[in-house]
Amino acid sequence: MRFITSWLQDRIPISEHQLREMSNEPVPNHMKRWWFALGGTPAYLFIVQIVTGILLAFYYKASPATAYESVRYITEDAAFGWYIRGIHKWGATLMIAAVILHQMRVFFTGAYRKPRELNWMIGMLILVCTLLCGFTGYSLVYEQLSYWGATVAGNITDSVPVVGPFMKAMLLGGAEYNDRTLSRFFILHAAVFPVVIVLVLGLHITMIRLQGVTEFRFKDEEGEETKHFNFFPDHLMTELIIGLLLMIVLSALATIIPATMGPRANPLITPEVIKPEWFLYVTFRWLKLMSRTAAILSMGFIVFLMFVWPFIDAFIRRRKPKSEVSIWVGIGAVLGIIGLTIWEASVEH
Amino acid sequence: MSLDAKRMIIAILGAVFLLSLVFVQFMEVAKKREEAGITTPRHAVPANSETCVECHAQSNPGIVDHWRGSTHAEKGVGCVECHRADRKDVDGYEHFGWHIATIVTPRDCSRCHVEEAFEFSNSHHSKAGNILASLDNFLAEEVEGMRGMFSPHSPTPGKPLRQVNGGASAYSGCKQCHGTLVALQSTDGGMITVEELEPDSEGQPTNLDAVAKVLRDDNGKPLFHPSTWPNTGIGRLNLDGSRGSCSACHSRHDFSPRRARRPENCGKCHLGPDHPQKEIYEESKHGAAYRDLKEHMNLDASDWVLGVDYSQAPTCATCHMSGHSRNGGKVTHDPGERISWTNRPPVSLVMDTDINHKIVTETDPEKRRALIHDTADEKRNRMKEVCSHCHTPDYINAFYYQYDDLILLFNEKFAKPGLKIIAALREADIITPTQFDEEIEWTWFFLWHHEGRRARHGASMMAPDYTHWHGMFEVADRFYMGLIPQARELAHEAGARGHAATRVIEEILARPEHEWFEGGAEEFTRRVQEGMKARYGKTGTSAD
Repeated sequence: MRFITSWLQDRIPISEHQLREMSNEPVPNHMKRWWFALGGTPAYLFIVQIVTGILLAFYYKASPATAYESVRYITEDAAFGWYIRGIHKWGATLMIAAVILHQMRVFFTGAYRKPRELNWMIGMLILVCTLLCGFTGYSLVYEQLSYWGATVAGNITDSVPVVGPFMKAMLLGGAEYNDRTLSRFFILHAAVFPVVIVLVLGLHITMIRLQGVTEFRFKDEEGEETKHFNFFPDHLMTELIIGLLLMIVLSALATIIPATMGPRANPLITPEVIKPEWFLYVTFRWLKLMSRTAAILSMGFIVFLMFVWPFIDAFIRRRKPKSEVSIWVGIGAVLGIIGLTIWEASVEH
Repeated sequence: MSLDAKRMIIAILGAVFLLSLVFVQFMEVAKKREEAGITTPRHAVPANSETCVECHAQSNPGIVDHWRGSTHAEKGVGCVECHRADRKDVDGYEHFGWHIATIVTPRDCSRCHVEEAFEFSNSHHSKAGNILASLDNFLAEEVEGMRGMFSPHSPTPGKPLRQVNGGASAYSGCKQCHGTLVALQSTDGGMITVEELEPDSEGQPTNLDAVAKVLRDDNGKPLFHPSTWPNTGIGRLNLDGSRGSCSACHSRHDFSPRRARRPENCGKCHLGPDHPQKEIYEESKHGAAYRDLKEHMNLDASDWVLGVDYSQAPTCATCHMSGHSRNGGKVTHDPGERISWTNRPPVSLVMDTDINHKIVTETDPEKRRALIHDTADEKRNRMKEVCSHCHTPDYINAFYYQYDDLILLFNEKFAKPGLKIIAALREADIITPTQFDEEIEWTWFFLWHHEGRRARHGASMMAPDYTHWHGMFEVADRFYMGLIPQARELAHEAGARGHAATRVIEEILARPEHEWFEGGAEEFTRRVQEGMKARYGKTGTSAD
């Protein structure tokens, strides 16, 4: 054992002491509260998605002629295919939910404020990439929902002023959905967005390590000095417990509510009601409320506001230091998102 | 929380996760075993059918396996629900504690499938047993066989002397599609059918003398006459007065919707030289698309609605029975609801039907209007709704224009004249009232029953080769080279008795559409030859 340690240290110039220091970042005491320890959940689910996604990619064939049949093969014929696909599907759902919840926790606790404005923006980028990953994912099945969802996405992109038609052509690989579209979606889903998420997630965690976790004090801790505990093994165990719980939940969902398949895509039949996945309900409802161009521009503006909110908040607080505007804006936004989602969900299929 | 507590939780959760993986492995193995046919899908056997399943799993394992894979099994419908009989039913008997009947009739199915049974009872399918008093039946029971039994005229080595059943061709042929008059054996050696039993509105016999004569085995089970059962003909005349057999399309005991939706299912009966609907469908682009895309047609879907669950290709069921997106997915069990011509008789008839679903043949416009309950146009519009899932209104209307033209051409040029010539010969006693005892009757039968139907059905389902080469070409050959010379010869041989028939024949041949036959068509022939020369540099004949 000593020989191996020595052999490794000769070649990797990090001492055991340095390694311990790196891994034993002091963690503020508030992180012992479970709901503050959920930041690692999306990262954990992302790893699950990568592993199951690689397994699915062994069988998936990205072309309109073969995609649906290959997904059917995975679901019905391949050994454990139904389970892996179920884990991937529910993993995506939970990951999107976890990213949104984490973002909300950061927002309502003001953890995006100076000096963490850039990390908030990085987090926003992760949220956008996760949603796009989810959208391109369900487009790959080539069922009616996939095809018409992608067609609607193409039309939405087309409505962006000036660059819309070009963006649509880039997205679909032509003026309309065609034989090249699915392979583009596959590359975006399985390569481009995951690589971007890996890079941005790395940056996100690096920033956390450089700046440290925001320290909170609760009423029962007032007057006391901020306490810390070790990342290893204490916090790692907490994360491990969350990870195991997630795997059990995913396993249960994949077996109790397995991933199914809708009717095969049929370009000749426009479904009477087109509905995207739940996480895009809010966008879809927004599109129905006004003209497409107005909806695109207003959504773009709202996303822009979300990106730069730390600076807007700082501007407001410079003028009114005790202002709680952020909280009210956040509550309004959350209620708006929930309301629009329920509204869209209540439309019958 | 202490580190030890966390370690304990991790250990417990790890074990739970591992157990979940064991469960996943169990599910995977079960799935593979089911796919490999090592196990059949397990559904709870209803309590009242447990004994049946236990015993028949040994004696007829296929029946039980078929049932286990059925929607009936999935929904808890067991053996007793379908086979149970009333104490008054003539074919009921005690069977291990249950009073059951062997044959499940549409009346039995209607205990649950009320609407389907009603629609079916209105359909031409349910009346297919009417063949029992038709020309086709005479052909099978007299011409091909004999009414009753006759003795063999020489021994068959290895087969003990037995009477020859003259109805064998009808029982194994016609009636397997059209349906038998189901009969129980009588103690006096005869047969007891619905005609003797005179069932009431509940399907129970009112003629108790006939019931008393039913021959039963030692266990009290009534014995069916083996000529009439087994039979799944679609117009079977059942002992309870109901007509038809649901299992004609929904094979027992798995009652597979998938199979009923496939054209092969209809092909048990709708094929062959006289009504080759299956072959016609296979020749059409519809059939070609089906063969190419059937794997993508969701044939296992629970509702199977055109325009919702599939649209790749139509099958027989799609056009004639299944639900579609424009009628709210409503299935009909009366295929006649969407058919605007009947091409079954010698002369095709417009499918204007009365309140009893019978074709209105009244010619007086006022009286006809009063009788019609459902017009052929309404039926056609229902079919057009199906077509419109893939074709534009202009396309559909133009198709029907072409179809109508072909039917009218056949009716006017060959069918009505043929009928008129045969009637003239019969009226003058040149041919006997007995069918098929003269060559010309066979000629006429081939013309309308085989070739004429092929042409008409071919046009109705877009199969050009059946319309022309197997159809109108052979109709023309049969008419000009068969019917006309034979009719002329018969009329000539009859001397003075044949004058009226000769006048009919000559009047028909003098019509513009037949003028070419005797008046010649030199001008047309010259144009053809000039065309040949212009195209190929030489004149020629069709034999070139």
